[in-house]
Amino acid sequence: MPVSLKKNPVDLAFLVITATASLSVLVLILGIVFVLFSESALSIKEFGILRFIFSTDWNPVIESYGAATSLFGTAVTTLLSLVLAIPVAIGIAIFVTEIAPGFLKGPIGVAIELLAAIPSIIYGMWGLFTLAPIMADYIEPALQDTVGRIPFVGILFEGTPMGIDLLTASLILSIMITPFTASISRDAFNLTPAIVKESAYALGATKWEVMKNIVIPYSKLGVFGGAVLSLGRALGETMAVAFVLGNNHQITSSLLDAAATITVTLANEFTEADTDLYLSALFNLALILFVMSFAILAVAKFFLLRAERKFTR
Amino acid sequence: MTVKVEVKGLNFYYPGGVQALKNINFSVYKNTVTALIGPSGCGKTTLLRCFNRMHDLYPGNRYEGEILLDGRNILSKNIDLIDLRSRVGMVFQKPTPFPMSIFDNISYGLKLRGIKKKSVLSERVEHALKQAAIWDEVKDKLFESAYTLSGGQQQRLVIARALAVEPEIILFDEPTSALDPISTAKIEGLLEHLKKSVTIIIVTHNLQQAARVSDWTGFLMLGELVEFDATEKMFTSPREKLTEDYITGRFG
Amino acid sequence: MTRVRLRKIESFIALSLCSLAAFAGIFWLFFILGDVIVHGASALRLELFTNDPAPPGIEGGGLRNAFVGQLLITFFATIIGVPLGVLGGTFLAEYARGKRIAKLISILSDIMVSVPSIVVGTFVYAVLVKPVGHFNGWAGAVALAIIMIPVVLRTTEDMLRLVPWTLREAAFALGAPYYRVITQVVYRGAAAGIFTGVLLSIARVAGETAPLLFTSFNNSFFSINMNEPISSLTATIFQYAMGPYDDWHSQAWAASLVITLFILLVTILGRMIIKMRYGGK
Repeated sequence: MPVSLKKNPVDLAFLVITATASLSVLVLILGIVFVLFSESALSIKEFGILRFIFSTDWNPVIESYGAATSLFGTAVTTLLSLVLAIPVAIGIAIFVTEIAPGFLKGPIGVAIELLAAIPSIIYGMWGLFTLAPIMADYIEPALQDTVGRIPFVGILFEGTPMGIDLLTASLILSIMITPFTASISRDAFNLTPAIVKESAYALGATKWEVMKNIVIPYSKLGVFGGAVLSLGRALGETMAVAFVLGNNHQITSSLLDAAATITVTLANEFTEADTDLYLSALFNLALILFVMSFAILAVAKFFLLRAERKFTR
Repeated sequence: MTVKVEVKGLNFYYPGGVQALKNINFSVYKNTVTALIGPSGCGKTTLLRCFNRMHDLYPGNRYEGEILLDGRNILSKNIDLIDLRSRVGMVFQKPTPFPMSIFDNISYGLKLRGIKKKSVLSERVEHALKQAAIWDEVKDKLFESAYTLSGGQQQRLVIARALAVEPEIILFDEPTSALDPISTAKIEGLLEHLKKSVTIIIVTHNLQQAARVSDWTGFLMLGELVEFDATEKMFTSPREKLTEDYITGRFG
Repeated sequence: MTRVRLRKIESFIALSLCSLAAFAGIFWLFFILGDVIVHGASALRLELFTNDPAPPGIEGGGLRNAFVGQLLITFFATIIGVPLGVLGGTFLAEYARGKRIAKLISILSDIMVSVPSIVVGTFVYAVLVKPVGHFNGWAGAVALAIIMIPVVLRTTEDMLRLVPWTLREAAFALGAPYYRVITQVVYRGAAAGIFTGVLLSIARVAGETAPLLFTSFNNSFFSINMNEPISSLTATIFQYAMGPYDDWHSQAWAASLVITLFILLVTILGRMIIKMRYGGK
């Protein structure tokens, strides 16, 4: 807003100080890119960018490193957790905005937000001590006995159920991102004008028809943006999966196998990297993760901004 | 004249027991336009929303008394709201196109009723759009988003959408308050024409509009129906002093 | 009318599934919280706060070092992160209001809020650990501060925007320079909101583990020297939970209980302040 500074020296100084502070965000982003890039230089020189991404080798003994196994684990846990989380999150959002009686709306909203506030390490530890044994003893054998017997689908559930695997990690991740996705979806649903919903009711639509045909299409940009934002979050989550994934560098067809994600690799191996190349390869992984998350989060932000603009027009 | 709706001893309470309508009694005649006027907050929109039980969407609202539609009390508990609302359509203050194409907007209510046949849908959509005097403007872009239309067009589209399901009554809640004078004139012209097939109840804050379009007028104040009479009589020789003061612009 | 019945049944089933989803969410919350409380409470004893760790494998000992370390790291992160965040947010909402640069930094901050925290850890390792040659508490504090800055900055911006522009105009009309208007009028109007934002950002970083793993690292001994590796609750939980000893596991549960309760209390407090000050959501 145009406010003349009237050449007041203190005002000018305050302006410079605040401007510098806000630029710190920009400096940090550029700094992270620059530092990660220069620390990865050795690895990039040794393996090349594409070969590093596509190589499934991760062998500190012979100093051969590739990101493919970590990328595989990241992709599987992230996508599976989204598949599990999004329907539940949308269900929660619908419940909170349209179904819950007034006296339940507040408490459930708060409970969902508290679930979002619990630190990820708690999820991880709970996953290791409580969820993993339940998965290994009950859920995974049950899955093997049912869907595991279906041809082709069964490949996903082969092996000995240990509870320390892609499935458990994805489930924990999904529990963790559900409240976040739900609260963004709820905010998006709330942007649907009441009289548009009333118009549909006035035509004789049921509550579900109003949700399905009016509210969800009306808020799809926001819900989609929220889902992408959750994707970005799940991608970079470390502690929730570090406990239960096993940090095993392999590409596997079974969800009951241990694996590694970029974050888990970093958490487990960063302090153990004893050679420059090993460390550089880890920085290279961090760089890939940063670039991916940044791009995905930027896309999410783009959709959320467009959704907002649509309604402030 | 046949009575279409009879309101008998209607009381309405918002949550917390706030009484918004007090002992309302009047009749709506078939194939006429009935206008509800009064200062803001008088309860005219509240009254309108009783006819399709819109208040049921929000918890804590309570009706007392009877609204007889063709002799049957629509306030009774065993009334099917989906059925009621397909007999009583509604148009709101602002245009409310759905996030879909023009065609899908109009056919939405029909599809809800299980009409799937393309040819039937097309025919009914065209008929509704013609009835709402918007066919010529949209016939070449039926499959474009309804948001591409202007405000006045959107409001006629919404009227067409209400007409498509062939309701017996349409409720209009200040349908022109967000529109320019030309769009307003078009919609007013439409009402005159529509009453041949449906019964219309319209809430308006615009007295000239009530005088122009309606056959009957009810004047509400503070939740009470002060006077209900033929529009001509109401605007020339009102019975009540309060009505006269309002109509001559002494308050409101 | 059978069609209407079918539609109603469809609606009922779909809405029941939604309700089920909501209760599943609540179920997980109670399951996780309940588990942390049951395991944590049984391991919670006074020595946890007053004693330092016993040698590995030996029963007993406490986590005094981790509590103190956590407080130190969080304290310094707040000292670094909050002023930068508040001042930066001030620039966006005041001097740069409506300008392109404000929009850009605002969007970048929103992205930074969700950037993987472990990446921040690797960055700080390269900048503050590698050159020094060893892990140190400052690096941990800086890593948490980096996570805090965008959070505080965005809340400050939003809260300052909620202060009506006319309030500033009234102050300008009295002849006050802009910086005085900001510090004496605008900040006062937004104080509760900014304070809440700071509280919530502290809650956010207090639970962070990943950025501490290769910055402040961990330390089994009591230390308040920020130039040396320093223990934190979260890093200790990770180490103990992954370790082989039952005693470690129960201490990890106890530490989890303390940190979870702290974070939930701060979160609830923050919500209450917002509700009291701004009403509604």
